[in-house]
Amino acid sequence: MKTRLPEHGPLETPQYWRTLEERLETPEAQRAAHDEFLPGAAPGTFDDVHGLPPSQSGFSRRDFLGLVSATAALAATVACDRKGQGTVVPYTRRPVEVVPGVANYYASAFQEGRRVYPVLVKTREGRPIHLTGNDEHPGVKGKTSPRTMADVLRLYDPDRLRAPKAGGRTLGWAEAESQLHAVLTGAKATGKPVLLISGAVVSPTRKALLADLKAALPTLEHLAFEPAAGDAAEEAAKASYGQAVDLQPRLAKAKVILSLGADFLNGEDPESLAAWGAKRRLKNAHEAINRLWVLEGPLTLTGTNADQRVPVAPSRLGAVAFALAKELSTKAVSLPAGADLSAIAVGVPQGVDIPAETWSNLVKDLQHAGRNAVVLCGAQMPAEVHQAAHLLNAMLGSEAVAVRAAEPLATVKDLEGAVQGMAAGHYAALIFWDVNPAYAFPRAAAWQEAVAKVPFRAWIGQVEDETAAQCQVLLPENHWLENWGDFTTEHAEVLQQPTIGTLYDTRQGEDVFLGVIRALGGHAPASYHVYLQGRWQQTLPLGTTFEQALHDGLVTSESKAATPAFKGASVAAAAQHAAASKSEGLELVLFPGFATHDGRHANNSWLQETPDPITKMTWDNPVSVSVQDAKALGIQEGDFVTLSLEGATLRLPAVIQPGQAKGVITLALGYGRTTGGVAKGVGANAYPFMGLDPTRANVRGGARLAKAGGKKDLSRTQSHHRMEGRDIVRSLTMDEFAHNPKGHYHMPELVSLYEDQTFPDHKWGMVIDLAACVGCSACVVACQSENNVPVVGPEQVARGREMHWIRIDRYYEGELENPKVVHQPMLCQHCDNAPCENVCPVNATNHSPDGLNQMAYNRCVGTRYCGNNCPYKVRRFNFLEYTAYKTEPEILVNNPEVTVRPRGVMEKCSFCVQRINDVKIRAKGDGRAILDGEVTTACMAGCPSDAIVFGDLKDPKSKVAQLVNASRAYRVLEEVGAKPAITYLADLKNPAVEGGPHAS
Amino acid sequence: MRADAAHLPGDIPEGLIEPSLTVGKVTPGSLDDQVLAFPETRPPKQWYIGLAITLTALFIGLGFIGYTFVTGIGVWGNNSPVFWAFDIINFVFWVGIGHAGTLISAILFLFRKRWRNAIARFAEAMTIFAVMCAVIFPLIHVGRPWVAFWLFPYPNQRALWTNFRSPLLWDVFAVNTYFSVSLMFWYLGLIPDIASMRDRTTSKLRKTIYTVLALGWRGAASHWQHYEKAYLLLAGLATGLVLSVHSVVSFDFATSVVPGWHMTIFPPYFVAGAIFAGFSMVVIVLVVVRETMQLKNLITMRHLDVMNKVILAMSCIMGYSYMMEGFTAWYSMNEYLHHGFMNIITGTYGWAGWLTISCNIFIPQILWFKKARASYFWMIFVAIGVTIGMWFERFVIIVISLHQDYLPSAWRIYKPTMTDFGILLGTFGLFFTLVLIFARVLPVIATTEVKAILPDAQPSHHGDDAHV
Amino acid sequence: MADVNRKPMMDRAAALVAGPFLLGQRALSLVFQPDQGAPPKTLKEAPSRITVTPPEHAIKRRG
Repeated sequence: MKTRLPEHGPLETPQYWRTLEERLETPEAQRAAHDEFLPGAAPGTFDDVHGLPPSQSGFSRRDFLGLVSATAALAATVACDRKGQGTVVPYTRRPVEVVPGVANYYASAFQEGRRVYPVLVKTREGRPIHLTGNDEHPGVKGKTSPRTMADVLRLYDPDRLRAPKAGGRTLGWAEAESQLHAVLTGAKATGKPVLLISGAVVSPTRKALLADLKAALPTLEHLAFEPAAGDAAEEAAKASYGQAVDLQPRLAKAKVILSLGADFLNGEDPESLAAWGAKRRLKNAHEAINRLWVLEGPLTLTGTNADQRVPVAPSRLGAVAFALAKELSTKAVSLPAGADLSAIAVGVPQGVDIPAETWSNLVKDLQHAGRNAVVLCGAQMPAEVHQAAHLLNAMLGSEAVAVRAAEPLATVKDLEGAVQGMAAGHYAALIFWDVNPAYAFPRAAAWQEAVAKVPFRAWIGQVEDETAAQCQVLLPENHWLENWGDFTTEHAEVLQQPTIGTLYDTRQGEDVFLGVIRALGGHAPASYHVYLQGRWQQTLPLGTTFEQALHDGLVTSESKAATPAFKGASVAAAAQHAAASKSEGLELVLFPGFATHDGRHANNSWLQETPDPITKMTWDNPVSVSVQDAKALGIQEGDFVTLSLEGATLRLPAVIQPGQAKGVITLALGYGRTTGGVAKGVGANAYPFMGLDPTRANVRGGARLAKAGGKKDLSRTQSHHRMEGRDIVRSLTMDEFAHNPKGHYHMPELVSLYEDQTFPDHKWGMVIDLAACVGCSACVVACQSENNVPVVGPEQVARGREMHWIRIDRYYEGELENPKVVHQPMLCQHCDNAPCENVCPVNATNHSPDGLNQMAYNRCVGTRYCGNNCPYKVRRFNFLEYTAYKTEPEILVNNPEVTVRPRGVMEKCSFCVQRINDVKIRAKGDGRAILDGEVTTACMAGCPSDAIVFGDLKDPKSKVAQLVNASRAYRVLEEVGAKPAITYLADLKNPAVEGGPHAS
Repeated sequence: MRADAAHLPGDIPEGLIEPSLTVGKVTPGSLDDQVLAFPETRPPKQWYIGLAITLTALFIGLGFIGYTFVTGIGVWGNNSPVFWAFDIINFVFWVGIGHAGTLISAILFLFRKRWRNAIARFAEAMTIFAVMCAVIFPLIHVGRPWVAFWLFPYPNQRALWTNFRSPLLWDVFAVNTYFSVSLMFWYLGLIPDIASMRDRTTSKLRKTIYTVLALGWRGAASHWQHYEKAYLLLAGLATGLVLSVHSVVSFDFATSVVPGWHMTIFPPYFVAGAIFAGFSMVVIVLVVVRETMQLKNLITMRHLDVMNKVILAMSCIMGYSYMMEGFTAWYSMNEYLHHGFMNIITGTYGWAGWLTISCNIFIPQILWFKKARASYFWMIFVAIGVTIGMWFERFVIIVISLHQDYLPSAWRIYKPTMTDFGILLGTFGLFFTLVLIFARVLPVIATTEVKAILPDAQPSHHGDDAHV
Repeated sequence: MADVNRKPMMDRAAALVAGPFLLGQRALSLVFQPDQGAPPKTLKEAPSRITVTPPEHAIKRRG
């Protein structure tokens, strides 16, 4: 190394120096003299060629060596083609509860409207990632609804409000609360009313808290607003029982079920689905089966599962139901005291197309089943239909429905009253708690005007919505997975506990109100947790602790709610109303969206992309038109139409819905939101069509439909709806099941030139009972959550690139006006002779020794040949990069046990191999064999009707091994010779046959 | 070549004597002057215009390929169930185009069809360019093109191996072999001509380049001896490839379980189709070359007539294949096959099915007429029709079969995007760019081979001395 | 196949390319020094990570 020394005069005494800096006596050098390994304390001579001071050139020998080693390190890492995915660091201080790599499970509960879902929350490294039903709960028994399962995604919604806000400015809680407290203190002093609008109150402790709040602030008015609950049901309950009620079907006790537009099989009610499944998973034709009669206007999921379905417009349903009551009353089924049906004629009402034979069968069925019959009415149906259903249940003495007193909900009439109060300057303040009336109130303009007249508006919620836009103070609320709470259900008192510390500076709404009580001079504990625990300590049964209750998530107790008595006197008016009810023009039925419900789930992309079980639409709410009306109006699938009703007009795409009653059009609520990164602009808002008469708010006559020109490329996951006569879904009547269970299908013996594969230890297989499967799509959401299935958006779905590993195929058969409908879950069949495996040029997909068709994502080049060669078309290709650009918080929902797939890679159902291996490892650790039923796939665990059974086919005693030999068993496309590992059990229908057995 | 220059028996009936393969007075010297002069002259204006057009198309294609690389093949119209579409259609189409060249240069050589000599060079060049266009697609159509090299069985420290059961892997080998053998065969034939050009040129730069390319060819008898042997061997190899490559390509479909793909007729049917499409492309290009490069005396109407006859024959084979497809669908009583065939003639893409049948079967029948075979208009009309028809045939096979297979729930319509069309345009740009460049820098006619078939190339009983 | 002693060709090639490249880049950066007077660039703000904390007072079922 060449060194040029600075000019220096001769030194008198020899001075030895180590570095030039030391020689020049810079402060750094003096420090370095004492600290040999000071960072950067290398001799600066290396760079003297440039004549720069070393500190400026910054190129030291250490840097040089660093570069050399960096080169080596780069060379070593160059073989890995994945880009850096962040740093993996161990915990510096590990929380006691968290063991890396081990999942924790917490019991909690989710509330949606009046319905409560006790859940078990799976957390990994402190993050809730997957929800299932609470297996300890005697009602739901480990099952839950698709929307509940998907709600874990809402915890990580990037749109969540992360800190309080006022006037568009982020501020601290103290400041935000002080604004609220000041207004409420003022209101208390002046005696001006304060209006609190919240969702349904099902929680006893929340109810108590609201009572305490009312005590502290006597001018408080409270409305529980649930726009999708069905105002008509509320009104009918008040009429029939004199109070609000909650109806819970107990289908286990039902032999005959009559649905009047009730969609109790749509996945919302896991208890009903479980009972349904139990009655349908028949081993032989001698086992008892129930019979489902459906009279409805729209085609609902329940209607598709009916044994006998008759399309009837909702406006005529009341007349039909009362006629049934009248007919039954003539057949020794006595009317309740005071019930007067003189307005009703005997027989099928005029203008309703029910064949006489069908009618008499229905009457006989109900009559014979007696207390084992139940009549269920859809929440959206007009009030008189509900009243007729209440009457019929009372007449039959039905044991298959539990009627319990409930907290009343505000109907549209109550809200209309509030709007008038607001407009009149009645209120000092408005508090919105987890509700969005600015979006869901039918008269949006009037609402906006009225709200603006209230001097102070506060909003408590998670994602800024249409209502938040009108409020001065926004208080960010926890997601329920960060909350404390409790709920009353029929069989148990259920607890909600946080499963993660709050992600942001949020609080739960109850804590805000406790603060209000304290600010108003009342007594309240420091937190809702303490408040809740205090209440629970008083009511806990002996021998139970609060900790035990939290562990279980519940304390079993039979509901203490009173069973209200049916009021016979209410019948006469309703019957008159029903007899007179007619509909002019087209009848618009507004029902909550399958995915979005009342709009609260609209920002959840998992749900937006879950296909509607009937229309198979995603990301949209097209208007469904009956086949007859579509023909008359010249409407084709996907055509834009103008829907208008009393001044409200929308331009929407139309889909033609087979099975929908003539003259009925349906539209889903919960779309057309104007806020939220996902929800904004998806579909159209149907709330302006809602009526202001609560007895028939969701069924509106006089709608007009006209072609608007243009066509939409529908984001639909299924575009062909006929089976083309192929042997894909087998469906048997009970008669066929008894006499000819293999049906007319003949499968010749399949011979192969090659030896069969052998499976030394296990051979995983699945059986799907199509008789129990209703098509609710819970499995789809469960799989999405378990396997990090990406969401692709409406444009990609329209292009045919949805990624769901399991889909529900829905086929129509027979006449278009009232077709037979079948559902079939379709997922990777894990074929023994998988056609996808031998065509992969790089062996990325191959067979495991335990019968799994596995994908090595890292090896996949993306030729897509496997996708072509899959007869079931269950392979999914990452056409674009769907995952890599995601950041926190979105990625926190990912299951760490499942690889996130990059662009250009094929993927598909893995039979939840991570769960299989988890059990395998556990069993090996315990030194035992795997038990039957120990391995559950996400779809199986999520299936509320237990239609899916998974297990080891090598174990002759396993449930799955026994079911594959059942008389209803068959394999789809067996003739292709792929030897699928999934066996389907033929669907069963139990139609009434003349002279055949009636339930008794 | 010279080996087959057998003495013709003295009294052959007039009709059996092969008419002259050239027109007018062609001597070896005039031939060299005519053919080898092209690279020495400045290209005409039309050539530059043509090149500008083809280069534009090429760069449009490259732009779309770049877009695909950056974004993912989601920018194409492919979906589930139509996982393959334009990508594989174009691949099969271009591989097919290539087949005419090898057939002309190798098979017709082995069958001693001497008329091939004048057109073999150009046809073979087209083979190479077409295969170059084709190999683009397997590379860009995979989801992760940066790991496409995994399709080769190379030793690696992860002990990963390819799946030899996959027809796609056979494809990799078949196309690679085809390309390398074709290139060698073509280059071997070029060597004597390049040597001639080396000796003729006055430009120093060209001389250097041709010297290198000529590999020291001096035209010695020993050179010729080795050359002939090598040429014969390569012709033998290439002959097998003509049949194997497209058979292997057809295995991609025939060995699958997709109804409409899974058919034993596919290998011969694909080979015939490839020759069909290839000859049509050769006719189109040769007519242009013949006119613009004043090669009428060497590429005669007789050449075109013979090629048109081949096209006609292939058209009939195609017609038979199509009918067999229908027959199989009916006779097998296989509902999936039946549905697939009905889709071709009555389904959503029925127009594509009928376009294919019209272009490939009906229109070429005009070539039964000698007048049509001698008319530029009709032969170009037929050839362009066949090119379109054969592209759509692959569309029919791939898209129609895939869009409705076993489970009706998964059926879906396929719609191509701008990118799909852009890349297709780009390959045409590449093909014709290479053709244009080739036409200007290398001898478009194998002069050494044509010299051998000049009327006075062989000693004859008419008293003329052969002067070689 | 899995010969542990075998040096992967890709690694070698990468080292061959990356080493001179990085050194060359560094050398160039020495010649074309950035403006000495310019204030030191502030570190780009790291993407905010969300802190995940376990819930307080909750009782887990299993795990």
